Amino acid sequence: MAERFKLHGLHGRGQWLVAVGFFLALCLTGVFAYRVLHHRPPPTDEPIRGWMTIGYVAHAYRVPPHILYPPLGLPSAPPAPPDKRPLREVARAQNLTMDEVRARLMDAIIHARPPYPPPPPPPRPEDVVPSPNIGNTGGAPR
Amino acid sequence: MNFTDEIVGALASYGVPALYVILVVAAAGVPAPVTLLLVVAGSFVAQGDMSMTSVVIASSLGAITGDQIGYFLGRWGGRKLAARALHFVGGEARLQQAEDATRKYGGAAIFLSRWLITPLGPPLNLTSGITKYPWAKFLLWDVMGELLWVVLYVQLGRIFSDRVETVADTLGNVTWLAVGAVIALVLGWKLFGYLRSEDSDESVSVVAVEPEKKIS
Repeated sequence: MAERFKLHGLHGRGQWLVAVGFFLALCLTGVFAYRVLHHRPPPTDEPIRGWMTIGYVAHAYRVPPHILYPPLGLPSAPPAPPDKRPLREVARAQNLTMDEVRARLMDAIIHARPPYPPPPPPPRPEDVVPSPNIGNTGGAPR
Repeated sequence: MNFTDEIVGALASYGVPALYVILVVAAAGVPAPVTLLLVVAGSFVAQGDMSMTSVVIASSLGAITGDQIGYFLGRWGGRKLAARALHFVGGEARLQQAEDATRKYGGAAIFLSRWLITPLGPPLNLTSGITKYPWAKFLLWDVMGELLWVVLYVQLGRIFSDRVETVADTLGNVTWLAVGAVIALVLGWKLFGYLRSEDSDESVSVVAVEPEKKIS
């Protein structure tokens, strides 16, 4: 009676498993072949993710990095050293959500691109007035 | 907490040491977004935040270390497990067949699983250990494959440094396409063998199981 349920050429559970595996592998190949052939890069820039650094976002969106620091409440770099933390850490440190970080960065990016005028150059170290210390005559005013 | 953000973000936070540690763990079998990690590392190299030499050395060493862990887990622990489950794997004879096949094709399989069919890497580390594939050969194919993988992916990250997620997605699709194609090829060949051998034995009683009762 078992013979009635065996297709021609295949005998035993092992061979059936191979046939099923072959069919599944073909399906897997087909699905990913379709994805490779029909993959289209996103029409806009890549979405901002938590792992990205400010430097990476500036690089990916082709804007000068120094314009992305003030919206996040960070000192502009330059002249400060570049902040290499991932955005998720910056968000935590600044008590912001990632959605807020994205929104602020996108706002700065939009305003750094045409039709808006180009952003000003980064501040020079000598343009930054140091905070006055008590008992200290302080740095030269500009 | 987004797992990918945490893993890839660790690269930005801790640099090259994080790359080493993550690759050890991933190569030992823990799933991790290593494709994106390497491509992002390439992007950081392009931006001058990391050096190519340190990225390649740390990544390769990490991946090779993880592979060795998988191999020796298979060699020392897997063999005992396989011995206990002999009737599931088809008996001692079947295990011997797997060992013979590994010795014959193992080098190519190990090499390809480092950079092309990467999801098969960790299981192949285990099976290489279980089937006692010679360690020196395993190491040789492993080192060559991992170096190729690291240099290729990091270079892609350098070239497409502002589109790392797109590149990583494409690489992921290509990898799984290759995995599907290789498995389909291997299983298809096996299936073809079954069908061919059954065609010549059509008159054989399917009830008979003892070889001496087969009618030629």
